[in-house]
Amino acid sequence: MGTAPDPPTTLPVQPEESVLLTSSAARTSSAVLKLVFQEERFFLILSVFIGVFAGLAVVCFRFAIDWCRIYLLGSAAVVSPLRLLLAPTIAGLVIAVLVIHVFPLVRGSGVNQTKAALYIYNGYIPLRTAVGKFITAALAIGSGQSLGPEDPSLQIGASLASVLGRRMRLSRERMRLIAPVGAAAGLAAAFNAPISAVLFVIEEVIGRWSAGILGSVVLSAVSSVVVMRWFLGSEPLFRIPVVQLHRPSELIAYFILGIVGALASVAFASGVTTLRPRLRDLPEWTQYLQPPLAGLLIGFIGLLGAPQVMGAGYEYIDQAMHGQFTWQFLGILAGLKIITTLLSFVSGTPGGMFAPTLFIGAMLGAAVGGVEHALLPSLNWSPGTYALVGMGVLFAGFLRAPMTSVFMALEVSGNYSIIVPVLVANTFAYLICRGLQPSAIFDVLSRQDGVDLPSMEEQREESILRVEDAMEPPPAVVPDDHDLLAKAAQVVDEAPGNVCLIRLNPVGWGAITKQEIASLMEQGKGGLSLGSRLASGPIPYLHPDHSLDMALRYIDRWPVLPVVSRADFSRLEGVITRQKVLKKYGHFTS
Amino acid sequence: MSTEAKTAEAGSYLASRPVTLALLSALAVVSFLLVTGLSRVYRGQQHSLAATWYARGVSDLQANRFAPAASEFRTALRYSPDEYSYQLRLAEALLGLKRIPEAYAYLSTLWERQPDNGTVSLLLARIAVANGKKDEALRFYHNAIYATWPRDEEVRRRETRLDLIEYLLRVNSRTQAQSELLALAANLHDQPDQQTHLGQLLLKAQDYEHALAAFRVSLKSPYRSQADAAGAGAAAFKLGRYPLAQRYLQEAVAANPKDTESAAMLKMTGLVLQMDPFRSQTSLTQRNRLVAQAFSAAGARLTACAARGLASSGPLQPLIEKWTKLKPQITQYRLLRNPDLVEEAMDLAFSVENQTSGWCAAPTESDAALLLIARLHEGS
Repeated sequence: MGTAPDPPTTLPVQPEESVLLTSSAARTSSAVLKLVFQEERFFLILSVFIGVFAGLAVVCFRFAIDWCRIYLLGSAAVVSPLRLLLAPTIAGLVIAVLVIHVFPLVRGSGVNQTKAALYIYNGYIPLRTAVGKFITAALAIGSGQSLGPEDPSLQIGASLASVLGRRMRLSRERMRLIAPVGAAAGLAAAFNAPISAVLFVIEEVIGRWSAGILGSVVLSAVSSVVVMRWFLGSEPLFRIPVVQLHRPSELIAYFILGIVGALASVAFASGVTTLRPRLRDLPEWTQYLQPPLAGLLIGFIGLLGAPQVMGAGYEYIDQAMHGQFTWQFLGILAGLKIITTLLSFVSGTPGGMFAPTLFIGAMLGAAVGGVEHALLPSLNWSPGTYALVGMGVLFAGFLRAPMTSVFMALEVSGNYSIIVPVLVANTFAYLICRGLQPSAIFDVLSRQDGVDLPSMEEQREESILRVEDAMEPPPAVVPDDHDLLAKAAQVVDEAPGNVCLIRLNPVGWGAITKQEIASLMEQGKGGLSLGSRLASGPIPYLHPDHSLDMALRYIDRWPVLPVVSRADFSRLEGVITRQKVLKKYGHFTS
Repeated sequence: MSTEAKTAEAGSYLASRPVTLALLSALAVVSFLLVTGLSRVYRGQQHSLAATWYARGVSDLQANRFAPAASEFRTALRYSPDEYSYQLRLAEALLGLKRIPEAYAYLSTLWERQPDNGTVSLLLARIAVANGKKDEALRFYHNAIYATWPRDEEVRRRETRLDLIEYLLRVNSRTQAQSELLALAANLHDQPDQQTHLGQLLLKAQDYEHALAAFRVSLKSPYRSQADAAGAGAAAFKLGRYPLAQRYLQEAVAANPKDTESAAMLKMTGLVLQMDPFRSQTSLTQRNRLVAQAFSAAGARLTACAARGLASSGPLQPLIEKWTKLKPQITQYRLLRNPDLVEEAMDLAFSVENQTSGWCAAPTESDAALLLIARLHEGS
């Protein structure tokens, strides 16, 4: 609206300052301060700080994960069998104790906790959650639990932002938005991909675009990535090989990958949503055993010959992209990663599912590509392309973030020639997953936690009632403002709601009721022009594509409103009445 | 609350923001410094681990233990993922393990980072060779030849060109090999071992003139070797300079009696020199005797081929008829009286040897010598 919001009413007022500010000099300085530090601008500045602090925190988090891995699993690429079994088990036990006794809020998805902060807790996320997530997730990932650092990073960023926002005493509206701003910063730093992080937060957490929100989210994401790159370098997560689409017919191969990826996503999501509540319903003492048991099983899988499925697994994604595994082994790795991630996540071990999702997608994609190449040797096959598209497919199918999945593939690969295969595969995967599993994983998880957070996917798919849905046809005759009152008296009986709409010159619309016309006619003023007798002046008008909610804003004061063409404001397309609007909403809700 | 009080409250609130921002900035600087310190500790540890594993990998690579070397280089790269030399060494280990696609993936990334790196280009050229991609191989070989090398640039370039030449010879691209050999020769010193190697490659490329020149340069040196004499002999033999070939080959066989190839060539050279009726300083009697011998040898060849059932196959039949018709005339007396008969007899003998060489069984030594004599005097 262009005006600064009022400061919060809970501010303490210091008497000395109050006295000082009564002077004109003080008023001037106050005006300058207000101009520079009005909340909208201040929020943007604060977003940069949030990005910086989130970036620093994520850098430390990465250090912590690496240190945990070195000290728990050893520095070699090949881990000794004893460490493989003991490290995730013992770390799991420590994590269980910490989660139950010290950091109970670190369980669950960071995305949902950020959404909860936005929609329920007015942006409040305790700092303890960030600290707990930092420690437990670093231990979990470092010890080989099959989880990723992105979701914890997102939550750490959100939590830091929340703390800063509280210290800054922001308004409630800004406080609500601050957690997503921090989340974007955390995710961007963890992924080294600011565009994907911004899109994900907008697509999955906030669910709407506006210049203010976008500006803050972008600033925080960019500043966190700059900080992260300062310390960890600007190398992308994966070395992407040259990606080329030689023939349009190759898209069929990616279409098949989309189907296989969708089925894998559904299986993975079903496993999570089925097993998680069952394990949580077990007796409380089992909560101590679940993470260590999950760790032991994962260690055992590593011992059997698939240590690649332990930890985040980015280095193995990189190897898969460069054709370093056979398609048979890639398929096995994809299957085992689904199992190990299920074990880790449903046991309540803190950590994210972004990295495992990418891992599964990459392995599955390269495996599908390998099979297709074995069946059709003439098919141009690059494991990197299939792995990359596979990552996007799982992101679209499992996390149900279709836009982010496309941009992630582009941002990670830096190659726009991949866009067509990614679009094809992701779209099919997303549509199949939506058909097979109507609720997105984050929505199911939040409901399992007893919180009904708004589903961004459902919001996107929500059908909107528009003005045209409740619009009545225009009356046959619409008088102009220079027409006489008598003309209006002739047509008002046929007009919707017994209100005669009048076309004003040069632009605009007026209205006169049957009662007003009757009263004026009784006074013998039928020879006067309509324009001179309009008591209420111009009335608002709507367009057919406006949402019906827009009509509700006016309909109480003006029970009949003109619906006009966007190209010609003097052309009446229809009329909307209070009765019709309410009737339409009545039908809609029933 | 009055308007004045509200203004004061808002002013106080706003006045606190610059201070807060200043504090935040200070906090950011302090945090940055702390993380920088932490980062140094982290980096130090990572570098140390990377160096340790890299050293182990190099040791294993030098001992041709490729599998542990690859694992160790991978570990090193985990701690120092951008390190160029680690990636290069890993690619070398992977090449040793014949895991060519993986090695190629690393090398192509390295090549994009440093297109002028000679080692990377050379390894990529070898991968292209293994994949049968000749154009790509040539491109990378030439990149490597003109690339920068960390040390011994001249030696490495020469070795790369030699590698390329050997590849070209393997794929029978003799013309390209010859041009590369000429470029190599221009950059070589007169060191005997280099000239010997050059000569041998030129021999393989069938550039006998330059090969002979290279061996001769080497033979002039006090460090001349048996290989130089054998090479020079072979080159001279191929050029049809049989007296010269005989001299070099005799030297080679004397130096190494086990050199069967040179010995066989020497024997053939001797036969050619013995059987050639057109050699200078040959008396008429001797010439006529050699012509009669050659004519008889050609007849024996025809008879042998006819016995194999090839007489009726067309081209030999006129030769048999011609030989049968001419045979009564080939006597010392008639040859002496009619010099044109010498030409006619030798032309027929050469025709027989030339035509039967592709059709009939392997020629006898005499037939082979006659064939060489025929080629020597072709067009004369």
